Amino acid sequence: MSGEQNTPPGSTRRRAIEYFLGGGILATFASFLYPVLRYVVPPPVADLGVNEVVAGKVGDLKPNSGAIFRFGSSPGLLILTSDGTYQALSATCTHLGCTVQYRGDLRQVWCPCHNGIYGIDGRNISGPPPKPLTAYDVHLRGDEIVVTHKREA
Amino acid sequence: MASLRNKFRLLRAARTAGLAGVIVLGACLGYGQTTNSCLDCHSAMPDPLGVTQEKFSQDIHAQKGLTCTSCHGGDASSYDPTVSMGAKAGFKGKIDRKQVPQLCAGCHSNPTYMKQYDPGLRTDQLDQYHTSVHGKRLAAGDSKVAVCVDCHSVHDIRPPSDPRSTVNPVNIATTCSRCHSDAAYMKPYGIPTDQFAKYNTSVHYQAMMVSGDLSAPTCTTCHGNHGAVPPGVDKVQNVCANCHVFQAQMYEKSSHKAAFDALGLPGCVVCHSNHGIHMPSDAMLGTGPQGVCMRCHQPGDRCDQARVKIQSGLMQLDGAITQADQTLSVAEASGMDVSEARLAQSQARDQLIKARVTIHTYQASLVDQDVQAGLKIAAKDEQAGKDAMVERNQRRIGLGICLIAIAIMLAGLWLFIRKIER
Repeated sequence: MSGEQNTPPGSTRRRAIEYFLGGGILATFASFLYPVLRYVVPPPVADLGVNEVVAGKVGDLKPNSGAIFRFGSSPGLLILTSDGTYQALSATCTHLGCTVQYRGDLRQVWCPCHNGIYGIDGRNISGPPPKPLTAYDVHLRGDEIVVTHKREA
Repeated sequence: MASLRNKFRLLRAARTAGLAGVIVLGACLGYGQTTNSCLDCHSAMPDPLGVTQEKFSQDIHAQKGLTCTSCHGGDASSYDPTVSMGAKAGFKGKIDRKQVPQLCAGCHSNPTYMKQYDPGLRTDQLDQYHTSVHGKRLAAGDSKVAVCVDCHSVHDIRPPSDPRSTVNPVNIATTCSRCHSDAAYMKPYGIPTDQFAKYNTSVHYQAMMVSGDLSAPTCTTCHGNHGAVPPGVDKVQNVCANCHVFQAQMYEKSSHKAAFDALGLPGCVVCHSNHGIHMPSDAMLGTGPQGVCMRCHQPGDRCDQARVKIQSGLMQLDGAITQADQTLSVAEASGMDVSEARLAQSQARDQLIKARVTIHTYQASLVDQDVQAGLKIAAKDEQAGKDAMVERNQRRIGLGICLIAIAIMLAGLWLFIRKIER
Protein backbone atom coordinates (compact mmCIF):
# COMPACT_ATOMS: atom_id res chain seq x y z
CA MET A 1 0.00 0.00 0.00
CA SER A 2 2.84 2.28 1.01
CA GLY A 3 4.69 1.35 -2.22
CA GLU A 4 1.85 2.72 -4.22
CA GLN A 5 1.99 5.94 -2.26
CA ASN A 6 5.76 6.17 -2.80
CA THR A 7 5.53 5.65 -6.52
CA PRO A 8 7.43 8.54 -8.06
CA PRO A 9 5.50 10.57 -10.61
CA GLY A 10 6.05 9.40 -14.19
CA SER A 11 6.70 5.69 -13.24
CA THR A 12 3.46 4.60 -14.95
CA ARG A 13 4.64 6.15 -18.21
CA ARG A 14 8.04 4.45 -17.83
CA ARG A 15 6.31 1.08 -17.27
CA ALA A 16 4.17 1.62 -20.34
CA ILE A 17 7.28 2.34 -22.39
CA GLU A 18 8.91 -0.84 -20.97
CA TYR A 19 5.86 -2.87 -22.01
CA PHE A 20 6.01 -1.45 -25.51
CA LEU A 21 9.74 -2.16 -25.75
CA GLY A 22 9.34 -5.67 -24.34
CA GLY A 23 6.48 -6.39 -26.75
CA GLY A 24 8.60 -5.17 -29.65
CA ILE A 25 11.52 -7.40 -28.64
CA LEU A 26 9.17 -10.41 -28.28
CA ALA A 27 7.64 -9.72 -31.72
CA THR A 28 11.16 -9.53 -33.18
CA PHE A 29 12.03 -12.91 -31.64
CA ALA A 30 8.78 -14.35 -32.92
CA SER A 31 9.59 -13.14 -36.44
CA PHE A 32 12.99 -14.89 -36.11
CA LEU A 33 11.48 -18.11 -34.82
CA TYR A 34 8.52 -18.36 -37.22
CA PRO A 35 10.65 -19.16 -40.32
CA VAL A 36 12.66 -21.63 -38.23
CA LEU A 37 9.46 -23.42 -37.20
CA ARG A 38 8.16 -23.33 -40.76
CA TYR A 39 11.47 -24.82 -41.91
CA VAL A 40 11.21 -27.69 -39.45
CA VAL A 41 7.49 -28.27 -40.17
CA PRO A 42 6.93 -27.14 -43.77
CA PRO A 43 3.40 -26.69 -45.11
CA PRO A 44 2.13 -29.57 -47.24
CA VAL A 45 2.70 -29.02 -50.97
CA ALA A 46 0.88 -31.57 -53.12
CA ASP A 47 2.23 -30.34 -56.43
CA LEU A 48 4.87 -27.80 -57.13
CA GLY A 49 2.51 -26.40 -59.77
CA VAL A 50 5.05 -26.37 -62.56
CA ASN A 51 3.62 -24.54 -65.55
CA GLU A 52 6.65 -24.39 -67.79
CA VAL A 53 9.57 -26.72 -68.33
CA VAL A 54 12.50 -27.00 -70.74
CA ALA A 55 11.92 -30.42 -72.27
CA GLY A 56 15.17 -30.54 -74.23
CA LYS A 57 17.27 -28.79 -76.82
CA VAL A 58 16.76 -28.53 -80.54
CA GLY A 59 18.80 -31.27 -82.18
CA ASP A 60 18.57 -33.68 -79.23
CA LEU A 61 15.77 -35.64 -80.90
CA LYS A 62 15.93 -37.32 -84.29
CA PRO A 63 12.87 -36.93 -86.54
CA ASN A 64 10.21 -39.63 -85.90
CA SER A 65 11.31 -40.24 -82.32
CA GLY A 66 10.27 -39.27 -78.81
CA ALA A 67 11.75 -38.74 -75.37
CA ILE A 68 10.43 -38.61 -71.82
CA PHE A 69 10.91 -35.37 -69.91
CA ARG A 70 9.99 -34.34 -66.38
CA PHE A 71 7.00 -32.03 -66.05
CA GLY A 72 6.83 -31.32 -62.33
CA SER A 73 6.63 -34.73 -60.70
CA SER A 74 4.93 -36.47 -63.64
CA PRO A 75 6.40 -37.66 -66.94
CA GLY A 76 5.83 -35.91 -70.26
CA LEU A 77 6.52 -37.18 -73.77
CA LEU A 78 8.17 -34.94 -76.36
CA ILE A 79 7.83 -36.12 -79.95
CA LEU A 80 9.62 -34.84 -83.03
CA THR A 81 7.47 -35.97 -85.95
CA SER A 82 8.97 -37.00 -89.28
CA ASP A 83 7.83 -33.69 -90.80
CA GLY A 84 9.86 -31.80 -88.19
CA THR A 85 7.18 -30.53 -85.80
CA TYR A 86 7.31 -30.93 -82.04
CA GLN A 87 4.41 -32.36 -80.03
CA ALA A 88 4.30 -32.67 -76.23
CA LEU A 89 1.88 -34.88 -74.32
CA SER A 90 1.38 -36.17 -70.82
CA ALA A 91 3.19 -39.54 -70.72
CA THR A 92 0.84 -41.05 -68.13
CA CYS A 93 -1.49 -43.60 -69.75
CA THR A 94 -5.15 -42.83 -69.01
CA HIS A 95 -5.85 -46.53 -68.40
CA LEU A 96 -3.77 -47.58 -65.38
CA GLY A 97 -1.14 -44.85 -65.27
CA CYS A 98 1.84 -46.55 -66.99
CA THR A 99 4.38 -44.39 -68.82
CA VAL A 100 3.71 -44.32 -72.55
CA GLN A 101 6.36 -44.12 -75.27
CA TYR A 102 6.62 -43.02 -78.91
CA ARG A 103 6.87 -45.87 -81.42
CA GLY A 104 8.60 -44.73 -84.61
CA ASP A 105 7.56 -47.91 -86.45
CA LEU A 106 3.87 -47.29 -85.70
CA ARG A 107 4.18 -43.48 -85.77
CA GLN A 108 1.95 -43.61 -82.73
CA VAL A 109 2.18 -43.38 -78.96
CA TRP A 110 2.13 -46.80 -77.31
CA CYS A 111 1.61 -48.02 -73.77
CA PRO A 112 3.66 -51.16 -73.09
CA CYS A 113 1.50 -52.35 -70.19
CA HIS A 114 -1.75 -53.21 -72.01
CA ASN A 115 -1.02 -52.31 -75.65
CA GLY A 116 -2.93 -49.01 -75.54
CA ILE A 117 -2.38 -46.84 -78.62
CA TYR A 118 -2.73 -43.08 -78.98
CA GLY A 119 -2.30 -40.79 -81.98
CA ILE A 120 0.53 -38.22 -82.08
CA ASP A 121 -2.02 -35.63 -80.92
CA GLY A 122 -2.85 -37.79 -77.86
CA ARG A 123 -6.17 -39.18 -79.11
CA ASN A 124 -6.86 -42.69 -77.76
CA ILE A 125 -7.05 -44.89 -80.85
CA SER A 126 -7.15 -48.50 -79.67
CA GLY A 127 -6.75 -50.73 -76.66
CA PRO A 128 -8.00 -50.00 -73.18
CA PRO A 129 -7.23 -46.24 -72.73
CA PRO A 130 -10.56 -44.54 -72.01
CA LYS A 131 -9.43 -40.94 -72.53
CA PRO A 132 -6.90 -39.01 -74.64
CA LEU A 133 -3.52 -37.97 -73.27
CA THR A 134 -3.33 -34.32 -72.20
CA ALA A 135 -1.58 -32.31 -74.92
CA TYR A 136 0.80 -29.48 -74.00
CA ASP A 137 1.92 -26.39 -75.88
CA VAL A 138 5.44 -26.41 -77.32
CA HIS A 139 7.46 -23.24 -78.02
CA LEU A 140 11.04 -22.73 -79.10
CA ARG A 141 13.05 -20.23 -77.08
CA GLY A 142 16.45 -19.99 -78.75
CA ASP A 143 17.57 -23.61 -78.95
CA GLU A 144 15.46 -24.66 -75.95
CA ILE A 145 12.20 -26.58 -76.37
CA VAL A 146 9.79 -25.10 -73.82
CA VAL A 147 6.65 -27.03 -72.86
CA THR A 148 3.73 -25.32 -71.12
CA HIS A 149 0.20 -26.26 -70.13
CA LYS A 150 -2.31 -25.46 -72.85
CA ARG A 151 -3.99 -22.14 -72.28
CA GLU A 152 -7.75 -22.21 -71.88
CA ALA A 153 -9.40 -20.95 -75.10
CA MET B 1 -62.18 7.68 -120.08
CA ALA B 2 -62.38 8.48 -116.36
CA SER B 3 -65.23 6.00 -115.76
CA LEU B 4 -63.28 3.27 -117.63
CA ARG B 5 -60.23 3.93 -115.42
CA ASN B 6 -62.44 3.69 -112.31
CA LYS B 7 -63.79 0.31 -113.50
CA PHE B 8 -60.21 -1.00 -113.92
CA ARG B 9 -59.37 0.23 -110.41
CA LEU B 10 -62.39 -1.59 -108.99
CA LEU B 11 -61.44 -4.76 -110.87
CA ARG B 12 -57.84 -4.57 -109.56
CA ALA B 13 -59.09 -4.03 -105.99
CA ALA B 14 -61.49 -6.96 -106.27
CA ARG B 15 -58.69 -9.18 -107.64
CA THR B 16 -56.34 -8.20 -104.79
CA ALA B 17 -59.06 -8.79 -102.18
CA GLY B 18 -59.90 -12.16 -103.70
CA LEU B 19 -56.26 -13.26 -103.72
CA ALA B 20 -55.84 -12.18 -100.10
CA GLY B 21 -58.97 -14.14 -99.19
CA VAL B 22 -57.65 -17.29 -100.85
CA ILE B 23 -54.33 -16.94 -98.98
CA VAL B 24 -56.06 -16.44 -95.60
CA LEU B 25 -58.45 -19.37 -96.24
CA GLY B 26 -55.54 -21.56 -97.33
CA ALA B 27 -53.64 -20.67 -94.16
CA CYS B 28 -56.71 -21.45 -92.02
CA LEU B 29 -57.19 -24.83 -93.67
CA GLY B 30 -53.50 -25.69 -93.29
CA TYR B 31 -52.74 -25.46 -96.99
CA GLY B 32 -49.11 -26.45 -97.64
CA GLN B 33 -49.04 -28.87 -94.64
CA THR B 34 -49.16 -32.56 -95.29
CA THR B 35 -52.37 -34.11 -94.04
CA ASN B 36 -51.73 -37.07 -91.70
CA SER B 37 -55.07 -38.56 -90.87
CA CYS B 38 -53.31 -41.46 -89.07
CA LEU B 39 -51.76 -39.23 -86.40
CA ASP B 40 -54.85 -37.03 -86.14
CA CYS B 41 -56.92 -40.02 -85.03
CA HIS B 42 -54.27 -42.21 -83.31
CA SER B 43 -52.95 -39.36 -81.16
CA ALA B 44 -56.35 -39.37 -79.42
CA MET B 45 -56.33 -43.15 -78.87
CA PRO B 46 -55.08 -44.98 -75.76
CA ASP B 47 -52.13 -47.41 -75.89
CA PRO B 48 -51.29 -49.62 -77.73
CA LEU B 49 -52.94 -47.85 -80.65
CA GLY B 50 -52.04 -44.33 -79.49
CA VAL B 51 -49.15 -42.52 -81.21
CA THR B 52 -48.82 -38.79 -80.63
CA GLN B 53 -47.27 -36.25 -82.96
CA GLU B 54 -44.85 -35.39 -80.14
CA LYS B 55 -43.68 -39.00 -79.88
CA PHE B 56 -43.40 -39.63 -83.61
CA SER B 57 -41.54 -36.36 -84.21
CA GLN B 58 -38.67 -37.81 -82.07
CA ASP B 59 -38.33 -40.74 -84.48
CA ILE B 60 -35.33 -40.59 -86.82
CA HIS B 61 -37.59 -41.88 -89.64
CA ALA B 62 -40.06 -39.00 -89.17
CA GLN B 63 -37.15 -36.57 -89.15
CA LYS B 64 -35.94 -38.01 -92.47
CA GLY B 65 -39.38 -37.51 -94.04
CA LEU B 66 -40.91 -40.98 -93.66
CA THR B 67 -44.50 -41.25 -92.45
CA CYS B 68 -46.85 -43.84 -90.95
CA THR B 69 -47.70 -45.18 -94.39
CA SER B 70 -44.03 -45.96 -95.11
CA CYS B 71 -44.37 -48.98 -92.80
CA HIS B 72 -48.14 -49.49 -92.36
CA GLY B 73 -49.33 -48.64 -95.88
CA GLY B 74 -52.70 -46.91 -96.34
CA ASP B 75 -53.59 -43.38 -97.39
CA ALA B 76 -52.86 -40.66 -94.81
CA SER B 77 -54.51 -37.94 -96.91
CA SER B 78 -58.02 -39.31 -96.40
CA TYR B 79 -60.16 -39.07 -93.27
CA ASP B 80 -62.45 -41.79 -94.59
CA PRO B 81 -61.39 -45.01 -92.76
CA THR B 82 -62.54 -47.15 -95.67
CA VAL B 83 -60.09 -45.26 -97.91
CA SER B 84 -57.23 -44.48 -95.50
CA MET B 85 -57.20 -48.00 -94.08
CA GLY B 86 -58.56 -49.73 -97.15
CA ALA B 87 -57.03 -52.64 -99.01
CA LYS B 88 -56.93 -50.49 -102.13
CA ALA B 89 -54.45 -48.16 -100.42
CA GLY B 90 -52.28 -51.14 -99.43
CA PHE B 91 -53.06 -50.84 -95.72
CA LYS B 92 -51.11 -53.42 -93.66
CA GLY B 93 -52.36 -52.51 -90.18
CA LYS B 94 -50.41 -53.86 -87.20
CA ILE B 95 -47.26 -55.54 -88.46
CA ASP B 96 -47.03 -59.14 -87.36
CA ARG B 97 -43.94 -59.66 -85.15
CA LYS B 98 -42.65 -62.32 -87.52
CA GLN B 99 -42.78 -59.83 -90.40
CA VAL B 100 -40.97 -56.99 -88.59
CA PRO B 101 -37.36 -57.90 -89.55
CA GLN B 102 -38.37 -58.31 -93.19
CA LEU B 103 -40.25 -55.01 -93.17
CA CYS B 104 -37.36 -53.03 -91.70
CA ALA B 105 -34.94 -54.78 -94.05
CA GLY B 106 -37.03 -53.50 -96.97
CA CYS B 107 -35.07 -50.27 -96.61
CA HIS B 108 -32.22 -51.18 -94.23
CA SER B 109 -30.90 -53.98 -96.46
CA ASN B 110 -30.94 -51.78 -99.55
CA PRO B 111 -27.49 -50.13 -99.83
CA THR B 112 -28.58 -47.79 -102.63
CA TYR B 113 -31.57 -46.53 -100.65
CA MET B 114 -29.71 -46.21 -97.30
CA LYS B 115 -26.76 -44.41 -98.86
CA GLN B 116 -28.86 -41.28 -99.39
CA TYR B 117 -29.39 -40.99 -95.61
CA ASP B 118 -26.13 -42.33 -94.18
CA PRO B 119 -23.44 -43.63 -96.55
CA GLY B 120 -21.60 -45.26 -93.64
CA LEU B 121 -24.56 -47.23 -92.30
CA ARG B 122 -24.32 -51.03 -92.56
CA THR B 123 -26.98 -52.88 -94.49
CA ASP B 124 -26.34 -56.45 -93.33
CA GLN B 125 -28.49 -56.35 -90.20
CA LEU B 126 -31.06 -58.85 -91.53
CA ASP B 127 -28.37 -61.32 -92.65
CA GLN B 128 -26.79 -61.05 -89.22
CA TYR B 129 -30.16 -61.40 -87.52
CA HIS B 130 -30.72 -64.70 -89.33
CA THR B 131 -27.51 -66.02 -87.68
CA SER B 132 -28.58 -64.91 -84.19
CA VAL B 133 -30.36 -67.02 -81.60
CA HIS B 134 -33.26 -64.56 -81.86
CA GLY B 135 -33.43 -64.89 -85.66
CA LYS B 136 -33.16 -68.66 -85.66
CA ARG B 137 -35.90 -69.03 -83.07
CA LEU B 138 -38.15 -66.59 -84.92
CA ALA B 139 -37.68 -68.61 -88.10
CA ALA B 140 -38.63 -71.72 -86.09
CA GLY B 141 -41.92 -70.05 -85.13
CA ASP B 142 -41.09 -68.57 -81.72
CA SER B 143 -42.52 -65.04 -81.78
CA LYS B 144 -41.44 -64.30 -78.17
CA VAL B 145 -37.87 -63.61 -79.23
CA ALA B 146 -36.55 -60.12 -79.87
CA VAL B 147 -37.26 -58.51 -83.23
CA CYS B 148 -36.03 -55.06 -84.39
CA VAL B 149 -38.62 -53.03 -82.46
CA ASP B 150 -37.97 -54.79 -79.14
CA CYS B 151 -34.49 -53.30 -78.94
CA HIS B 152 -34.84 -50.16 -81.08
CA SER B 153 -38.33 -49.24 -79.77
CA VAL B 154 -41.15 -48.26 -82.11
CA HIS B 155 -42.57 -44.91 -83.27
CA ASP B 156 -39.80 -43.05 -81.38
CA ILE B 157 -36.73 -44.80 -82.80
CA ARG B 158 -33.67 -42.68 -82.14
CA PRO B 159 -30.20 -43.15 -83.65
CA PRO B 160 -27.81 -45.13 -81.37
CA SER B 161 -25.69 -42.01 -80.88
CA ASP B 162 -28.60 -40.34 -79.06
CA PRO B 163 -28.17 -40.89 -75.28
CA ARG B 164 -31.96 -41.40 -75.04
CA SER B 165 -31.84 -44.25 -77.56
CA THR B 166 -32.56 -47.72 -76.19
CA VAL B 167 -29.47 -48.93 -78.09
CA ASN B 168 -27.09 -46.19 -76.95
CA PRO B 169 -24.10 -47.92 -75.24
CA VAL B 170 -25.21 -46.75 -71.79
CA ASN B 171 -28.73 -48.18 -72.29
CA ILE B 172 -27.99 -51.47 -74.07
CA ALA B 173 -27.65 -53.60 -70.91
CA THR B 174 -30.97 -52.26 -69.60
CA THR B 175 -32.63 -52.93 -72.96
CA CYS B 176 -31.42 -56.55 -73.05
CA SER B 177 -32.39 -57.01 -69.39
CA ARG B 178 -36.04 -56.20 -70.13
CA CYS B 179 -36.39 -59.78 -71.36
CA HIS B 180 -33.23 -61.50 -70.10
CA SER B 181 -33.77 -60.53 -66.44
CA ASP B 182 -37.45 -61.54 -66.51
CA ALA B 183 -37.38 -65.01 -64.95
CA ALA B 184 -40.99 -65.78 -65.94
CA TYR B 185 -40.48 -64.68 -69.57
CA MET B 186 -37.18 -66.58 -69.90
CA LYS B 187 -38.42 -69.75 -68.15
CA PRO B 188 -39.05 -71.76 -71.34
CA TYR B 189 -35.47 -71.18 -72.51
CA GLY B 190 -33.75 -72.52 -69.39
CA ILE B 191 -30.97 -69.93 -69.30
CA PRO B 192 -29.89 -67.85 -66.28
CA THR B 193 -31.50 -64.44 -65.68
CA ASP B 194 -28.84 -62.94 -63.41
CA GLN B 195 -26.57 -61.60 -66.17
CA PHE B 196 -27.70 -57.99 -65.75
CA ALA B 197 -27.38 -58.08 -61.95
CA LYS B 198 -23.88 -59.55 -62.29
CA TYR B 199 -22.87 -57.09 -65.03
CA ASN B 200 -23.87 -54.22 -62.74
CA THR B 201 -21.20 -55.34 -60.27
CA SER B 202 -18.49 -55.73 -62.95
CA VAL B 203 -15.45 -53.67 -63.78
CA HIS B 204 -16.89 -53.20 -67.29
CA TYR B 205 -20.04 -51.61 -65.84
CA GLN B 206 -17.85 -49.35 -63.70
CA ALA B 207 -15.90 -48.24 -66.79
CA MET B 208 -19.09 -47.59 -68.79
CA MET B 209 -21.46 -46.10 -66.23
CA VAL B 210 -19.17 -44.62 -63.57
CA SER B 211 -16.14 -43.54 -65.62
CA GLY B 212 -18.33 -42.72 -68.64
CA ASP B 213 -16.17 -44.71 -71.11
CA LEU B 214 -18.61 -45.47 -73.94
CA SER B 215 -16.14 -47.91 -75.51
CA ALA B 216 -16.29 -50.15 -72.42
CA PRO B 217 -17.95 -53.51 -73.01
CA THR B 218 -21.68 -53.98 -72.71
CA CYS B 219 -23.81 -56.99 -73.78
CA THR B 220 -23.41 -56.44 -77.54
CA THR B 221 -19.61 -56.04 -77.34
CA CYS B 222 -19.17 -59.73 -76.55
CA HIS B 223 -22.40 -61.22 -77.94
CA GLY B 224 -22.84 -59.12 -81.08
CA ASN B 225 -25.92 -57.02 -81.70
CA HIS B 226 -28.00 -58.11 -84.70
CA GLY B 227 -26.22 -61.46 -84.79
CA ALA B 228 -26.39 -61.92 -81.01
CA VAL B 229 -25.13 -65.32 -79.88
CA PRO B 230 -23.10 -66.57 -76.92
CA PRO B 231 -19.41 -66.34 -77.98
CA GLY B 232 -18.88 -70.09 -77.60
CA VAL B 233 -16.63 -71.88 -75.13
CA ASP B 234 -13.55 -72.06 -77.37
CA LYS B 235 -13.95 -68.52 -78.73
CA VAL B 236 -14.21 -66.56 -75.50
CA GLN B 237 -10.51 -65.60 -75.49
CA ASN B 238 -10.87 -64.23 -79.03
CA VAL B 239 -13.64 -61.91 -77.81
CA CYS B 240 -11.67 -60.76 -74.74
CA ALA B 241 -8.54 -60.36 -76.92
CA ASN B 242 -10.19 -57.51 -78.80
CA CYS B 243 -9.25 -55.31 -75.85
CA HIS B 244 -6.98 -57.44 -73.64
CA VAL B 245 -4.39 -58.08 -76.35
CA PHE B 246 -1.27 -58.93 -74.33
CA GLN B 247 -3.08 -61.20 -71.90
CA ALA B 248 -4.61 -63.12 -74.82
CA GLN B 249 -1.26 -63.45 -76.63
CA MET B 250 0.36 -64.82 -73.49
CA TYR B 251 -2.55 -67.15 -72.74
CA GLU B 252 -2.45 -68.54 -76.31
CA LYS B 253 1.15 -69.73 -75.76
CA SER B 254 0.59 -70.93 -72.21
CA SER B 255 0.14 -74.39 -70.75
CA HIS B 256 -3.36 -73.40 -69.61
CA LYS B 257 -4.58 -72.99 -73.20
CA ALA B 258 -3.94 -76.63 -74.05
CA ALA B 259 -5.32 -77.83 -70.70
CA PHE B 260 -8.49 -75.75 -70.92
CA ASP B 261 -9.07 -76.78 -74.53
CA ALA B 262 -8.72 -80.44 -73.60
CA LEU B 263 -11.19 -80.07 -70.73
CA GLY B 264 -13.60 -77.90 -72.75
CA LEU B 265 -13.22 -74.99 -70.34
CA PRO B 266 -14.06 -71.47 -71.54
CA GLY B 267 -10.61 -69.73 -71.45
CA CYS B 268 -10.58 -66.38 -69.64
CA VAL B 269 -13.98 -67.09 -68.02
CA VAL B 270 -12.52 -69.94 -65.91
CA CYS B 271 -10.66 -67.46 -63.67
CA HIS B 272 -12.38 -64.12 -64.39
CA SER B 273 -16.03 -65.27 -64.78
CA ASN B 274 -18.21 -63.80 -67.52
CA HIS B 275 -20.86 -61.18 -66.71
CA GLY B 276 -19.66 -60.27 -63.20
CA ILE B 277 -15.97 -59.66 -64.02
CA HIS B 278 -14.37 -57.83 -61.10
CA MET B 279 -11.16 -55.83 -61.06
CA PRO B 280 -8.42 -58.51 -60.77
CA SER B 281 -6.39 -58.49 -57.56
CA ASP B 282 -3.33 -60.34 -56.32
CA ALA B 283 -5.69 -62.15 -53.93
CA MET B 284 -6.88 -64.17 -56.96
CA LEU B 285 -3.51 -65.99 -56.73
CA GLY B 286 -4.02 -66.71 -53.05
CA THR B 287 -5.80 -69.48 -51.22
CA GLY B 288 -8.54 -67.29 -49.71
CA PRO B 289 -12.13 -66.94 -50.92
CA GLN B 290 -10.99 -64.85 -53.92
CA GLY B 291 -8.32 -67.38 -54.91
CA VAL B 292 -8.92 -69.15 -58.24
CA CYS B 293 -5.88 -71.42 -58.75
CA MET B 294 -6.72 -73.94 -56.07
CA ARG B 295 -10.10 -74.68 -57.63
CA CYS B 296 -8.20 -76.97 -60.02
CA HIS B 297 -4.68 -77.37 -58.58
CA GLN B 298 -3.61 -79.46 -55.61
CA PRO B 299 -1.72 -77.93 -52.66
CA GLY B 300 2.03 -78.49 -52.96
CA ASP B 301 2.07 -79.55 -56.61
CA ARG B 302 4.44 -77.96 -59.14
CA CYS B 303 1.87 -75.38 -60.23
CA ASP B 304 1.02 -74.49 -56.62
CA GLN B 305 4.71 -73.84 -55.97
CA ALA B 306 4.83 -71.54 -59.00
CA ARG B 307 1.67 -69.79 -57.76
CA VAL B 308 3.27 -69.12 -54.36
CA LYS B 309 6.39 -67.73 -56.05
CA ILE B 310 4.37 -65.47 -58.38
CA GLN B 311 2.12 -64.17 -55.61
CA SER B 312 4.98 -63.53 -53.16
CA GLY B 313 6.93 -61.72 -55.93
CA LEU B 314 3.98 -59.43 -56.66
CA MET B 315 3.35 -58.77 -52.97
CA GLN B 316 7.04 -58.04 -52.42
CA LEU B 317 7.11 -55.49 -55.27
CA ASP B 318 3.81 -53.94 -54.17
CA GLY B 319 5.15 -53.63 -50.62
CA ALA B 320 8.48 -52.15 -51.81
CA ILE B 321 6.64 -49.52 -53.89
CA THR B 322 4.38 -48.60 -50.96
CA GLN B 323 7.38 -48.39 -48.61
CA ALA B 324 9.33 -46.15 -51.04
CA ASP B 325 6.21 -43.99 -51.51
CA GLN B 326 5.93 -43.51 -47.75
CA THR B 327 9.62 -42.60 -47.37
CA LEU B 328 9.34 -40.13 -50.25
CA SER B 329 6.15 -38.64 -48.77
CA VAL B 330 7.88 -38.02 -45.43
CA ALA B 331 10.86 -36.44 -47.21
CA GLU B 332 8.47 -34.33 -49.30
CA ALA B 333 6.54 -33.23 -46.19
CA SER B 334 9.87 -32.15 -44.70
CA GLY B 335 10.38 -29.82 -47.65
CA MET B 336 12.91 -31.96 -49.55
CA ASP B 337 12.82 -32.16 -53.35
CA VAL B 338 12.34 -35.81 -54.30
CA SER B 339 10.47 -35.27 -57.57
CA GLU B 340 13.11 -37.23 -59.52
CA ALA B 341 12.51 -40.30 -57.35
CA ARG B 342 8.74 -39.72 -57.51
CA LEU B 343 8.98 -39.85 -61.31
CA ALA B 344 11.03 -43.06 -61.13
CA GLN B 345 8.35 -44.57 -58.86
CA SER B 346 5.96 -44.54 -61.82
CA GLN B 347 8.42 -46.87 -63.63
CA ALA B 348 8.36 -49.23 -60.65
CA ARG B 349 4.56 -49.20 -60.82
CA ASP B 350 4.78 -49.90 -64.58
CA GLN B 351 6.81 -53.02 -63.77
CA LEU B 352 4.17 -54.17 -61.27
CA ILE B 353 1.41 -53.69 -63.85
CA LYS B 354 3.51 -55.53 -66.47
CA ALA B 355 4.18 -58.37 -64.01
CA ARG B 356 0.43 -58.71 -63.43
CA VAL B 357 -0.04 -59.04 -67.20
CA THR B 358 2.85 -61.54 -67.46
CA ILE B 359 0.94 -63.82 -65.05
CA HIS B 360 -0.97 -64.96 -68.14
CA THR B 361 2.16 -66.84 -69.30
CA TYR B 362 1.85 -68.84 -66.03
CA GLN B 363 5.67 -68.93 -65.90
CA ALA B 364 7.08 -67.80 -62.56
CA SER B 365 10.50 -67.01 -64.09
CA LEU B 366 9.01 -64.48 -66.58
CA VAL B 367 6.93 -62.79 -63.86
CA ASP B 368 10.05 -62.68 -61.67
CA GLN B 369 11.96 -60.75 -64.37
CA ASP B 370 9.39 -57.92 -64.20
CA VAL B 371 9.27 -58.10 -60.40
CA GLN B 372 13.07 -57.86 -60.06
CA ALA B 373 13.21 -54.89 -62.46
CA GLY B 374 10.54 -53.13 -60.36
CA LEU B 375 12.25 -54.00 -57.06
CA LYS B 376 15.51 -52.49 -58.33
CA ILE B 377 13.77 -49.18 -59.15
CA ALA B 378 11.80 -49.16 -55.87
CA ALA B 379 14.98 -49.83 -53.85
CA LYS B 380 16.72 -46.93 -55.61
CA ASP B 381 13.76 -44.64 -54.88
CA GLU B 382 13.67 -45.79 -51.25
CA GLN B 383 17.37 -44.96 -50.98
CA ALA B 384 16.76 -41.54 -52.58
CA GLY B 385 14.08 -40.89 -49.94
CA LYS B 386 16.40 -42.01 -47.13
CA ASP B 387 19.25 -39.85 -48.50
CA ALA B 388 16.87 -36.89 -48.58
CA MET B 389 15.96 -37.58 -44.94
CA VAL B 390 19.66 -37.77 -43.95
CA GLU B 391 20.21 -34.41 -45.65
CA ARG B 392 17.14 -33.01 -43.89
CA ASN B 393 18.52 -34.15 -40.53
CA GLN B 394 21.92 -32.61 -41.28
CA ARG B 395 20.22 -29.33 -42.16
CA ARG B 396 18.21 -29.45 -38.95
CA ILE B 397 21.33 -30.12 -36.86
CA GLY B 398 23.03 -27.17 -38.60
CA LEU B 399 20.04 -24.98 -37.86
CA GLY B 400 20.01 -26.15 -34.22
CA ILE B 401 23.72 -25.28 -33.81
CA CYS B 402 23.08 -21.84 -35.33
CA LEU B 403 20.13 -21.24 -32.98
CA ILE B 404 22.17 -22.29 -29.93
CA ALA B 405 25.00 -19.95 -31.00
CA ILE B 406 22.52 -17.10 -31.41
CA ALA B 407 20.93 -17.90 -28.01
CA ILE B 408 24.38 -17.88 -26.31
CA MET B 409 25.16 -14.57 -27.97
CA LEU B 410 21.85 -13.07 -26.81
CA ALA B 411 22.38 -14.34 -23.27
CA GLY B 412 25.86 -12.79 -23.27
CA LEU B 413 24.42 -9.55 -24.56
CA TRP B 414 21.78 -9.56 -21.82
CA LEU B 415 24.38 -10.18 -19.10
CA PHE B 416 26.56 -7.44 -20.56
CA ILE B 417 23.64 -4.95 -20.51
CA ARG B 418 22.90 -5.84 -16.87
CA LYS B 419 26.55 -5.25 -16.01
CA ILE B 420 26.44 -1.79 -17.62
CA GLU B 421 23.19 -0.94 -15.73
CA ARG B 422 24.92 -1.65 -12.42
